[in-house]
Amino acid sequence: MVGAAALLTVYPSTRLPAQDSTRIQEVQSVLSSLIESYGVSGMETPVRATVLKLLPAWAKAETDTAGNVWVRVGQGDPVVVFVAHMDEIGYRVDSILDDGSLRITNQGGFFQSLFEAEPALVHTPKGDVPGIFLPRDTGATRHNPPPLRVSVGTTSRPATLARGVSVGSTITMPKQFTRLAGTRATGRAMDDRVGDAAQILALRHLDRSKLKHQVIFVFSTREEIGLEGARAAATALGTTPRRVHAIDTFVSADSPLELQTFATAKIGDGPVARALDNSSVTPQAYVDSLAQVARARGLPLQIGTTNGGNDGSTFTPFGAVDVAMGWPLRYSHSPAEVIDLRDVAALADLVQAIAEIW
Amino acid sequence: MMRVVTRRLVGWTGSTALLGAALLAVQPSTRLAAQDVSSFTERLAALTAVSGSEQALTDSLLAWLPGSARDRFGNVTLALGKGEPKRLASCAVDEVGYIVGTITDDGYIRLRRVPGALPQPLFDQQMLEGQRVTVMGDAGPVPGVVAVRSTHLTRFRGAAAAAEPPFTVDDAWLDVGATSRADVARLGIHVLSAVARLKRPLRYGDGELAAPFAGSRATCAALLAAALGKPAVRGTVVVAFTVQSSYAQTGLKAVRALQGPFAEELAPSVPSQFRFTPVETVSLAAADSVRRAIVQWIGGGK
Repeated sequence: MVGAAALLTVYPSTRLPAQDSTRIQEVQSVLSSLIESYGVSGMETPVRATVLKLLPAWAKAETDTAGNVWVRVGQGDPVVVFVAHMDEIGYRVDSILDDGSLRITNQGGFFQSLFEAEPALVHTPKGDVPGIFLPRDTGATRHNPPPLRVSVGTTSRPATLARGVSVGSTITMPKQFTRLAGTRATGRAMDDRVGDAAQILALRHLDRSKLKHQVIFVFSTREEIGLEGARAAATALGTTPRRVHAIDTFVSADSPLELQTFATAKIGDGPVARALDNSSVTPQAYVDSLAQVARARGLPLQIGTTNGGNDGSTFTPFGAVDVAMGWPLRYSHSPAEVIDLRDVAALADLVQAIAEIW
Repeated sequence: MMRVVTRRLVGWTGSTALLGAALLAVQPSTRLAAQDVSSFTERLAALTAVSGSEQALTDSLLAWLPGSARDRFGNVTLALGKGEPKRLASCAVDEVGYIVGTITDDGYIRLRRVPGALPQPLFDQQMLEGQRVTVMGDAGPVPGVVAVRSTHLTRFRGAAAAAEPPFTVDDAWLDVGATSRADVARLGIHVLSAVARLKRPLRYGDGELAAPFAGSRATCAALLAAALGKPAVRGTVVVAFTVQSSYAQTGLKAVRALQGPFAEELAPSVPSQFRFTPVETVSLAAADSVRRAIVQWIGGGK
């Protein structure tokens, strides 16, 4: 086995928020702002604004035509890219029915039953319009309800239009970052706001004098609907990058509901080398090198395999090696995603370490 | 809509007379009173009162309603006026919910439903699976989530997952971020601690409010606002906010035993849509109509 997990940091099992270290406080400050921004795939503007606000003052951020945010640091080859996506799962308005309700289509893959009979927010240029995901009239299946509709409390199409809702508007449910026991936290869209937070925190703490080559941080769009933003970035860079690090969720089986056949990285035990998923495989030598970087900085690292695809896989056709990394996440793509803030801090430190010494 | 459930005329030897007439007459109301009903509906809908664990909500009622008292059963009552006839206006404050059944070695919490029966087939699924909940710990509310399979790890298992029966409370694993039984104990959580869906009432449309149990909360808000409005009273009216309605109206029966007999009883009801879902919806205007009708009934009007 290459690069056995180096679990070099020991964490206390339970800690109240009042006892947080300054590091955990910083992580929470950055992450909670990102979690409480809304950005269904293709409508990432509020998240992009939050990212730009949280970046260090020295960062010269650019936004490309795909909506991706780029921050370039350092000079020279080999160019290394980090990429974390800004978008989240949700819905788009397909049509407005005569009774004023909205026919909708999901953006990204998830159990639609988790949105049924929940409060809704329709995001419009005039602001968020509250409503509800209508409960079904009949049937009692688990994860596949009949097609969902949303009501904003109107009874006619003109009344709905008057509220600023239109075909193409995106829809989510209200969300809030919330601390659980110890250093754990819950919120919707941890996937992939944690990745964004890790990149922002790494940039904030980066010692730019140590960089020996150019590092590009990309905050990408439309990952959940087919890695579209990253594909645009990869195409723009062509064969320039040597390596790409997708910073995205490691969907963990650390739950009593999951099969324990793989993806068993535990939350709270540190970031994870996402060495094999449904979109890419990291060459073993690169997993070794990643483990060495972690060890050199005294950072925990788990190594594993999980399901899903990652933005880095759009760079591999151009010859870049995808060394995907993540943090363990329970209950992915649900309103109840759970993380450990220590994993976020360690992931940010690992991103910084890679930029500085690899 | 209002329902007069029972009227027993003192001295009658005959059976109870049921008065089914709705009280439709509407008195002019002040803007302040309407705001009270809306505000109280929203505030009550944000509170948790699992049957048998209603104290957080009844504490609020005691604070809002000067002169009210809690009886030995947990009901909150207030007597308005004096003399005969002695009548009762009541609403139930409790809700179908959950309590901690057991705690696992690795810090997960398992639940039982209170009182027991599902009020609708998808109640547990919509209230719990993959959603935020609150545990009423000894030191205050503790946030948690109910586990759900990760989409990514389920999708690739084929069609079997899609054919699963609805989620029930027996499928619930509550995660408060603890990693051991001792962690859970340190949070003030133990067997019998009440657990409920996180309450975040949502106003939408033209004066509608969505929240779990919005109908019963709006009804209690209407009764509360009516009592606070210093209405004219015919005889004595006992205003009661009763507990444990899910257990065969135990709280209401206790009020009757402790403060009755009553010549007449009123059980108002604000109609709601999507009952027993997280987005049960009421019209705040309808809630204020009920308040006005209660005021009229207290004064002796039909």
